[in-house]
Amino acid sequence: MDQFLSLVVSAVLLAGLYAAMAFGLGLIYGVLRIVNLAHGGVIMAGAYTTWVLFTRFGMDPYLSIPIVVPLAFLFGVGLYKGLVRFLPRGAAGGVQSLLLLFGVWLVMQNVAYLLFSGNDQAIRTSYSTRGLSLLGVIVPLNRLVVFVIGLLTLAVLHVLLTRTYVGKAIRAVAQNPDSCTLVGIDVERIYTLTFAIGTALAGLAGLLLSTLFAFNPGAGAVELLKSFVIVVLGGLGSVVGIALGAFVLATVEVFSILVLPSFLTAAVGFVLLVLVLVFRPGGLFGQKVLS
Amino acid sequence: MLIVYAPAIPAHPYSQCGSHRASPSPFSPSERIRLVRNHLTRKRHVLAVLALLLLSACAPGQGPEEPAAAGSEGDGAANLPGEIVIGATLPLTGEESRIGGFYREGYELAFELENEDGGLQVGDQTVPVQLELLDDTTNQATAVSLAERLITQDNVNALLGTYSTSLVEAQSTAAEQNQIPYVNGGGAATSIYERGYQWIFGNLAPIELLAETEMEWIEEQQEAGNLPKPAKIAVVWENTSHGKDFQKGITEFVEASEGDYEIVMDESFELNGRDFSALLSEVKASGADLFMVDAHLPDYITMQRQYTTAGLCHDVITYGARGPEPDARDALGEEAVSYILSAVWWNAQLGDEGINKEFVDAFTAKYDKEPEWYHAVSYEAARALFTAIQNAGSVEPEAVRDALANLEMESLLPGGSLTFPEESGFQAQYPFVVQQNMPEGESPIIYPEDTATGEGVAPNPNCDQA
Repeated sequence: MDQFLSLVVSAVLLAGLYAAMAFGLGLIYGVLRIVNLAHGGVIMAGAYTTWVLFTRFGMDPYLSIPIVVPLAFLFGVGLYKGLVRFLPRGAAGGVQSLLLLFGVWLVMQNVAYLLFSGNDQAIRTSYSTRGLSLLGVIVPLNRLVVFVIGLLTLAVLHVLLTRTYVGKAIRAVAQNPDSCTLVGIDVERIYTLTFAIGTALAGLAGLLLSTLFAFNPGAGAVELLKSFVIVVLGGLGSVVGIALGAFVLATVEVFSILVLPSFLTAAVGFVLLVLVLVFRPGGLFGQKVLS
Repeated sequence: MLIVYAPAIPAHPYSQCGSHRASPSPFSPSERIRLVRNHLTRKRHVLAVLALLLLSACAPGQGPEEPAAAGSEGDGAANLPGEIVIGATLPLTGEESRIGGFYREGYELAFELENEDGGLQVGDQTVPVQLELLDDTTNQATAVSLAERLITQDNVNALLGTYSTSLVEAQSTAAEQNQIPYVNGGGAATSIYERGYQWIFGNLAPIELLAETEMEWIEEQQEAGNLPKPAKIAVVWENTSHGKDFQKGITEFVEASEGDYEIVMDESFELNGRDFSALLSEVKASGADLFMVDAHLPDYITMQRQYTTAGLCHDVITYGARGPEPDARDALGEEAVSYILSAVWWNAQLGDEGINKEFVDAFTAKYDKEPEWYHAVSYEAARALFTAIQNAGSVEPEAVRDALANLEMESLLPGGSLTFPEESGFQAQYPFVVQQNMPEGESPIIYPEDTATGEGVAPNPNCDQA
């Protein structure tokens, strides 16, 4: 029973982290129809920015959110204005964007190797190894904070997309950019904003990751793959669907250890991805959430 | 051995004999004259090439720019190049760049010290030795293609290996195919040496011995009554050849122990894992006394952080070769890493006498820091190759290979002597040094006794506090 409870807690906490990782990728795909392969690079850059702020200025990782997220936002604006907007519109989701953003990721990775070398880095705070006892199960404090931030991000995104003018404009552009132009929505501005928000969310994910794991310039690859699985599971372009997709992936991965060797648990998510693509191409929750 | 290549001269119509001689020539007189001229010209060219080759073979010395011949005929010492060139690639950029940098320091120190007295003593000549080092960018394909370039274009006399099992495993095949001696200190997995290769030599003892040496210390503690008997072990290993060797070492030791140990959990995990909470909940449920893991540094940091947070504690905890790294201490804090057991191929604490002291002093003087085991094994790999060339009295690949196979030299490594036994696929075999992290930040060698610099502690005192 103890082990079962412990696995439930693990799955819930992991889902919060996974959701935080995938929001940015899902948002950009949902609106611009671009698979942002630079997502992994931004996650890595977010982790290093947090680490630099922590080691150089002694800034607590969670207190550095107001610095890291705007920096990632500005980077997203620059990336969109400097590169992404030049992609041919009709093929924006095609091979050109994949190659371009993969190239951006490689450049970011190699710049990080030059700046920080390949050393593994980690952030240790006074609460890094603290835990809270809950129903006899120890809940790591850091992971709990990451989970809460994941939930808050979901709430903020949901409110932004459903209750604000900008959010409604983003959803409208996602549905039909040509009609948006006719009703006076600056589509290019919405694209820039969406790409920047998505990049800022990736930066936030990097910050959260840096509080939990050791990382090096190669970090971000695993996160990108998992984010992709989550976005497909949850239904492309749906924020709530992404959160549910993250929960499904985390639950399946955590509980599969009861029946599978541990090294296969990472592969379970990809098996799930294939099954969903074959039997429910709209995602596990995609159709309902969108409707 | 000089390989003289002379193009075949086509049979001339006039030289044909038998019934063909009587037959009318198919060529006109002017064609015949042209053919004779061509034939004579070709003959002159071949003679000129032969003369040049003979002259170069008989010349008393060759210029420093002369590429080192891949092989020369006759007495090797008589045909020594002006400079012996050793090729190597290392992951100087990319994922393993940090460790690649360590290996570079080890190699460069070995070459510098060797050239201080003019170079290698080969036969009655002293020949400088040069390192041709390239960056393989932590990429298997690059490591292989650069090795081939070093062998076929740069004509190096021998190769020193790159770092990490996967790169060494791929690159060593190029050396084997081209039959050139390859000495590495970067690949420990037995899978590299179980392929029946004849040109690959490794000075990293197998990971199985790492596990075995740790188990020997545990057995001592068990016999002293410090650990339960039988002791329950949870073995958790990364899903790589490195991890498999670790698991095999423990399993074989347990099987031979006749009931003193019981493996209650045997699980592997993927490299660069993010969430070990489910795995750790299994460890907790297994009720193990000893938690024995084989992991690379990032997984060690992540897993140990989750382990500590989950409030787990075992009488003995090890992460294989990981434990005392400053990066891990910074990331986890002294308390979280204290009493962790680790075993490595070498430690600077061995360096208080003999050639170990010479190495540590020279390294510290050059780089202004204390050497780690990466530096020692790379330095030692270069030294093994130098010694083999000197023993062979030649740079002929076959002679150097034979000298490596029969090598027995005084060594920095535990045991004090380095050999490459044929029965283990030319992989060196020697005991590891076992260390234990202490709360004060030190990691003394606690086993084997003859090299110990401190006393080990078991069971883990942290568990009393927990």
